[in-house]
Amino acid sequence: MKPSRRMILTFGGGALAILTMSVRAGAAPVETVEMRGTARGERVWFAPRGLAVAPGTTLRFVNRDPGNSHTATAYHPAILDRKRRIPAGAQPWDSDFLLPGDEFEITLSVPGVYDYYCQPHEMAGMVGRIVVGQPGDSGWSGPSDDTTEVTPEVLAALPTVEEILANGRVEKEEEK
Amino acid sequence: MQRPLLIAAAMLFATTGASFAHDDKALEQSPPPAPYVQVSDVVPLPAFIPGLGTLFVDPATLPAGPFLAYDHDGKLSATVYMTPLDDLKNGTAYDGLAVGSHTVSGVDIYYNAGHPGVEKPHAHVVLYHDEGAEDRLAK
Repeated sequence: MKPSRRMILTFGGGALAILTMSVRAGAAPVETVEMRGTARGERVWFAPRGLAVAPGTTLRFVNRDPGNSHTATAYHPAILDRKRRIPAGAQPWDSDFLLPGDEFEITLSVPGVYDYYCQPHEMAGMVGRIVVGQPGDSGWSGPSDDTTEVTPEVLAALPTVEEILANGRVEKEEEK
Repeated sequence: MQRPLLIAAAMLFATTGASFAHDDKALEQSPPPAPYVQVSDVVPLPAFIPGLGTLFVDPATLPAGPFLAYDHDGKLSATVYMTPLDDLKNGTAYDGLAVGSHTVSGVDIYYNAGHPGVEKPHAHVVLYHDEGAEDRLAK
């Protein structure tokens, strides 16, 4: 039997869980970001689209959109040759396509601002920003100042660092 | 003057007839014959998409389609077209598209932000082929 994508993700996740169990024993924080959309796909978004976390937090991306697939992909030259919008020393990530119910985890340790997007929905403004730690932390990298590679719609959809730090999480009322 | 009009009418009929010519019976039940392929086999999408059902498309007709939409029992329930808004704005016309069935009980048109396969923001034009089709494709 040809293994399905879901099976691979499940077994892969299981193996990862075993490998990291000893690390998790220290109760490393986990935060969830949901990939969501309206029933007919008129709008798609990350919930929350802005999130503040402590260094070492694991981000769990879960596709809660029953009619669509999504990715969580860091802006980085190593992935689809995009301009870097994560801290210089941070490991870029790409969840690949997640079908409904699938999930993907990444642990963010380098302090700074991480911008990411959904590959098929970047044009629709499906982007998110994670702030790890806060300004003043050792090794902190602020937000990218590039405004040439992403569209004005993408820039408008990214919450400011100040807004994220002040609120902890940023999401529109209709997107909760 | 009448003769050129008759010739034009005959040409229009011939063109329209060619565009819509297909074997309705062959498409009634899933899976439709080649060159149709199941969308979820070629792009990462659920096999049954709530609201659209199980979709098949001839890849040569992308992005517009027609996408043939089947319910859980494999019954052809709708024909769907996906037309990128930017392409329409820039002058692309999608003319003479085929239909899965000549029976149409209702039409829905709505915006979609994009998905694997048709990633640009586009319109979904859904032709339902019987009264219960929309409900059967809902979930």
